[in-house]
Amino acid sequence: MSRKATLGLLLAPGLALLAFGFAYPFAVTLFAPPAAEHPDVLGKLGAMLTDSYVLGVFARTVRVAVTVTLVCLVLGFPTAYLIARAPKSRQGLLLALAVFPLLLSTVVRTFAWLVILGRNGLISDAVLATGLTDRPPELLYTEFALVAGLTQLFMPLMILTSYSSLSQIDPGLEDAARGLGASPGRAFRRIVLPLALPGVLVGATLVFAGAVTAFTTPLLLGGSRNRTLATLLYDYANVKLDWGGASAVALIMTVLVLVVGWASGRISAKVATS
Amino acid sequence: MIRRRPVLSLLSALAMVFLLGPILLVVAIGFSSGDTVEFPPPGFSLRWFDQALSNASFQQGLLTSLLVAAAATLFALVLGIPVALAVQRRTFRGHKAVETLFLSPAIVPELVLGFALFQQLMVTMRITALGALLIGHTVLLLPYAVRVTGASLALSDPALEEAARGLGAGPLRAFFAITLPVMTPGIVSAAVLSFLTSFNNVPLSLLLKGPGISTLPVEMLNYVQFSYDPTVAAVSTLLLAATVGAALLTERLVGFNKVFSR
Repeated sequence: MSRKATLGLLLAPGLALLAFGFAYPFAVTLFAPPAAEHPDVLGKLGAMLTDSYVLGVFARTVRVAVTVTLVCLVLGFPTAYLIARAPKSRQGLLLALAVFPLLLSTVVRTFAWLVILGRNGLISDAVLATGLTDRPPELLYTEFALVAGLTQLFMPLMILTSYSSLSQIDPGLEDAARGLGASPGRAFRRIVLPLALPGVLVGATLVFAGAVTAFTTPLLLGGSRNRTLATLLYDYANVKLDWGGASAVALIMTVLVLVVGWASGRISAKVATS
Repeated sequence: MIRRRPVLSLLSALAMVFLLGPILLVVAIGFSSGDTVEFPPPGFSLRWFDQALSNASFQQGLLTSLLVAAAATLFALVLGIPVALAVQRRTFRGHKAVETLFLSPAIVPELVLGFALFQQLMVTMRITALGALLIGHTVLLLPYAVRVTGASLALSDPALEEAARGLGAGPLRAFFAITLPVMTPGIVSAAVLSFLTSFNNVPLSLLLKGPGISTLPVEMLNYVQFSYDPTVAAVSTLLLAATVGAALLTERLVGFNKVFSR
């Protein structure tokens, strides 16, 4: 059998599945969904881009995703750094503890926030117990709830990617900077941060994309008052049964994720060559 | 040398509380004896585990989830391993592009993929919910299969296979005697990751459901939306125990860090 034929045999089944179960449905749904009336996705898209409600949902989705990315960075990066500098024998266990929540269902992890933030939840009980007020704060179905739930969901991704670039950095470099008179903070900023940047960027991109496309958490913690693009898409597709509208939201979401991924790739490439 | 880093330590302690606290909270509530969700629980009981295990829609959901996750993992590996072999062991034009193509289902939003498959496969082509679920989950897992098994191939030395061929082994014999054993840790890791990814998926499973076909996370999601009692906490505790068990077993077989460094 020729090399070409073997190559074809190796790739053909996978390609067939991708074509049938991914590329074809994706393209048709995004640009020409079946509908009773004329499916005018681009027309819908144009109308949405001037609709203040949809624009509000878009802005909220981006705002929440950016906040989640920043919080994950501020909490996750130091965690990854300390794990990478822990004794080798303990690193595996620490990393496993930080990352295993990823293996749990989003429903399980979001349920916890209903308990913490809900009307009779932990925080409102604590506030009532102080006796300062008899009206507990509204926490559930707010953007705050979205940020808390999504941060818990995606922080492991930030820890994992930061760890994998931090663990490549020789601790001797930092010691050298310290030996030459740099303060610990300065050594951290001038040596560790620049070297860890590529991993951090990958992590930030994954967290951002995850936060933009997450569905379960905004459904349970955001409710109908704080829709994101994902819950809006579900609403169009399954409640309003407006498939043209759903396709338009899907286009917005897909383009947003792809543009951010592309931009972060460009920045990484720039950092790597400079 | 131990250095004191108060700010970093504080931030990472906060991160760990944030990550693990909510999960421990759910476990505590699962063992509650109270009638509603409350913390701290008024007492210890297993009543909500009884409730969870005797819930018919959870039982049915669990069966569907296990079936779909096992089948989709198997399909994704059967389709993905040859792709990993082609991408890692052969140089051909566009070989980077082929790899990117196979990783692309991981980039697009899952909800959009679910919506597309619902429209095109279930509504337009009238494929059953189970069929659409299997196709959708296999597509979802294909990137993991290609990347994780590919990583184990990239770490191994192709000269081993060439040596086997040079010593007279046919291509199939070289594959089964050399390449497959080299790939085994990657295959085990990919299988565990794929199984859990499929088992936990909500967006695809929610959109691709039909009469009698609905996965456990989707049933849990429905339950949480309409009733607020510790049943879901009990199910969550069981899932947590099963996941930790699977993770420890994988650690024994191939090592934790290999599973996570995909």
